[in-house]
Amino acid sequence: MSSFNIHGVSVSNGIAIGKANLISNALFEVVRYEITNREIPNEIKRLTRAIDDVRKDLLRIKKQLQKESSEEFSAFIDTHLMILADKNFSEKPKIIINNDNCNAEWALKKQMDFFVDKFEKIKDEYIKERKNDVIQVVERILKVLLGHPRQANQVNNESSAILVAHDISPADALQFKKHQYAAFLTDMGGSTSHTAILARSLNIPSIVALQNARSLIKNNEQIIVDGNQGIVIVNPSKDILEEYQVRQNIWGIEQKKLSKIKNIKCKTLNNENIELLANIEVPDDIKSVKENGASGIGLFRTEFLFMNRKELPNEEEQFEIYKSVVKAMSGKTVVIRTLDSGADKLTSADTTISSNPALGLRAIRLCLSEPQLFNIQLRAILKASHFGKIKILIPMLSSLSELRQTKLLIERAKKSLRNEKISYDRYIKIGGMIEVPAVAINAEAFAQELDFLSIGTNDLIQYTLAIDRTDDRVSHLYNPLHPAILKLINLTIKAGNKYNKEVSICGEMAGDSKLTKLLLGMGLKHFSMHPSRILSVKKQVLNSDTQKLAALSSKVLKTKESEIIETLIRKINQ
Amino acid sequence: MIKKKIRIINKLGLHARASSKLTQLACTFKSELFLIKDKNKVNAKSIMEILMLAASKNTIITLEANGEDEKEATESIVNLFGSYFGEGE
Repeated sequence: MSSFNIHGVSVSNGIAIGKANLISNALFEVVRYEITNREIPNEIKRLTRAIDDVRKDLLRIKKQLQKESSEEFSAFIDTHLMILADKNFSEKPKIIINNDNCNAEWALKKQMDFFVDKFEKIKDEYIKERKNDVIQVVERILKVLLGHPRQANQVNNESSAILVAHDISPADALQFKKHQYAAFLTDMGGSTSHTAILARSLNIPSIVALQNARSLIKNNEQIIVDGNQGIVIVNPSKDILEEYQVRQNIWGIEQKKLSKIKNIKCKTLNNENIELLANIEVPDDIKSVKENGASGIGLFRTEFLFMNRKELPNEEEQFEIYKSVVKAMSGKTVVIRTLDSGADKLTSADTTISSNPALGLRAIRLCLSEPQLFNIQLRAILKASHFGKIKILIPMLSSLSELRQTKLLIERAKKSLRNEKISYDRYIKIGGMIEVPAVAINAEAFAQELDFLSIGTNDLIQYTLAIDRTDDRVSHLYNPLHPAILKLINLTIKAGNKYNKEVSICGEMAGDSKLTKLLLGMGLKHFSMHPSRILSVKKQVLNSDTQKLAALSSKVLKTKESEIIETLIRKINQ
Repeated sequence: MIKKKIRIINKLGLHARASSKLTQLACTFKSELFLIKDKNKVNAKSIMEILMLAASKNTIITLEANGEDEKEATESIVNLFGSYFGEGE
């Protein structure tokens, strides 16, 4: 076994040493791509051949089982064989390929989703569960189509298992939260991909954009993940392994040192109070919010409550969740962002995936077009506001008329609660996400009509630089230090100051301790980030003098090239 | 064409094993064979369609057979239901 290194983009720091656990859940990897009319016959042939291969596999297994006279299992195989032979199952995807000009994998999955949906509606619990048979057969075919090993990996539940996958979708991510992985490695992704966000939330190292790690690394091979440098070392030599065991210990000690500043007041050297808040996705995250001493929740991403389920949560369910969060935070601020989801995050069946979901019907646009769905959430938030300090945050605003419409709907929700004699916070503050460049440029107009502004740098960068952050071929162009981005942030902070409205950053930039001093110099006083980032950002705040930094930051804002900006920032951090 | 009402008497109804036995048997006949429950009419030669019917114990379904061997087909299928799909309960 020879040792080799793979380089990628580190998205979560730390060092992990463990055994590779290749995720070959083929369903996770199905993507849609277009094929031309000329390619259709070939694509259909590819599917026919894959189905044929699976049938042969199943027949072989069946023979084996008959020899071992395990009739029970052989009956299962029979069911799978019959599903495979069913024309509804095997012929419909061919029609889909033909009609939609799509690849075989996609067509197969589409047909599977159709069946699974029907099974879900069956009341008989036993028959309902048969959807799993359909899924298992589809997985077998997909593995043949994608060229994966056909045996399932043994599930390795040790805490030293390192997950190696092609990509992790938001829905997968929630499932992985329950496992105890020591690190995540993916072929795809960038610093704001779901893998990255998940890894940081679990506080484990993660390297993404590794291109073909999944095919280079074998299951159970020993791996070192150096999340501080973005290097994966496969089959390390004894010397390297020992070196990294030492580094892992040192890293652990440094992390412990950081925890000592947890209870110190967050003030700069020139006595300015800085607020460090936490971003959360589910109520369980509150544990980590408290462990890191956040002064509140600056962003509660509610779309995660809507994921991985067929029916949207009702008002009572949402209310209970918001109430539990606000109560757990005992009087500290909780900023609840209304549904910020597009087709990629909602798993319900009625989503039509547009070719450019980031620019499509999502977030506040979706909510304004589905006022009933929105009203349920607004009422739930308002009801919970009776139990603590809640603020409402509206995502993806792009025009004042959207803001006014939203405020109207909030007023209506309040009125309906008053009519029902249900208590809520009458003075609840309403803020807007500044993530569409048009809004940042026009920040003053929004500052006049909002109570607070929150800059979502991830989307602001994606929209301003026209970069799809999930496309690893362009992810290297994703640059928080692009002069245009810094200008937009600066415009927003200035607008907030002018109208005396709080401005915070809740994107990844807020949690990057290399950028803390720059942002402090620009006048930012509220940072909201992943809980695990709070202490390293706090360390920077405690060592900063905002008056001195202001001069340096204004120099950065006058600079035209990102490279020079990077050099200046290194100087600021010295 | 023959139509015949059948009561499902086995414990689990038309679950996976019963459905696969039924489909296997249906496929040995040339006739068109359908099962009708309420307003749903499904092809007895398709396991997916039979599963979707979700017919549980004590449901009454109608078998419709149409073709040259419809008589034999009806008899065999009625017997299969009557024999609890060979499950003994």
